[in-house]
Amino acid sequence: MFVPPLFEEANRSRRTLVVAMRALAADGFAAVLPDLPGQNESLIPLDQVDLGIWQNALAETAAAIDGPLIIASVRGGALIDHRAQAAAWWRLAPVSGASLLRTLMRARVAADREAGATTSLESLQADAATAPLLLAGNRLSPRMIAQLGSAEVQPAAPLRTVTLGSGTDAVAGTPLWLRAEPGEDAAMAAAIATDIAAWSKTCGIS
Amino acid sequence: MTEPDTVDATLRALLADVLGLGEDRAAALTQDSGLFGELPEFDSMAVATVLTEMEDRLGIIIDDDEIDGEIFESYGNLLAFSLRKIAG
Repeated sequence: MFVPPLFEEANRSRRTLVVAMRALAADGFAAVLPDLPGQNESLIPLDQVDLGIWQNALAETAAAIDGPLIIASVRGGALIDHRAQAAAWWRLAPVSGASLLRTLMRARVAADREAGATTSLESLQADAATAPLLLAGNRLSPRMIAQLGSAEVQPAAPLRTVTLGSGTDAVAGTPLWLRAEPGEDAAMAAAIATDIAAWSKTCGIS
Repeated sequence: MTEPDTVDATLRALLADVLGLGEDRAAALTQDSGLFGELPEFDSMAVATVLTEMEDRLGIIIDDDEIDGEIFESYGNLLAFSLRKIAG
């Protein structure tokens, strides 16, 4: 089960994750990429969810899957993958919630400035304490913003964490989740699939 | 991370990652190359992403009130700002 990055980063990464899922399928794995409540094709309004709800939704989805489960999380997905039961975890380039929130808030400040309005990270933080805040197209509840501000990756075991780059604990590729225009990277997708399959073997799952 | 050449390389790689420039276009950026307003990929979300990545990769903290339009006017301005921040 892949746990996608959060917010816009999911859209920038989806295509490459799907290509990785196809490679895993060719290798005998069944792969699933759930839409988080309030994201992508989910009908639930985003301002009604928070990280706790996402963690529970993933736990429910995981519980309905037959057979040994590997959870593969990317970026902010690693903040919500630990409540689910699994045989193993795999995380790619995990990021803190504070870092994601800072970028979302900055995008709002930059957009406001272009529109001639003056906001700051401080003024947005204050507004977010009492009412939902629209950040880069995402309407986030006070609870979601508070949880994001302090969210860190949590322990899980057995866990393999990989970064982008070269070396033994890395997959080669580019940080597609940062890119202004969505792209895809077939080589990176293949590297993701290969690394997950190897981790599965290491854990005695396949 | 204090050598100007290292900062320059880090900044080019970062812009390549965020704007999808590719190594060649990133390497071809000059001091006068325009960024915000000239590169269509450079929207407000890209500005925000660049700032957060600069903090992570250069080990600096950027305050709201340090950011004005001039920083993103040209590659040279962004590099000069980064070097000033690193020097403290």
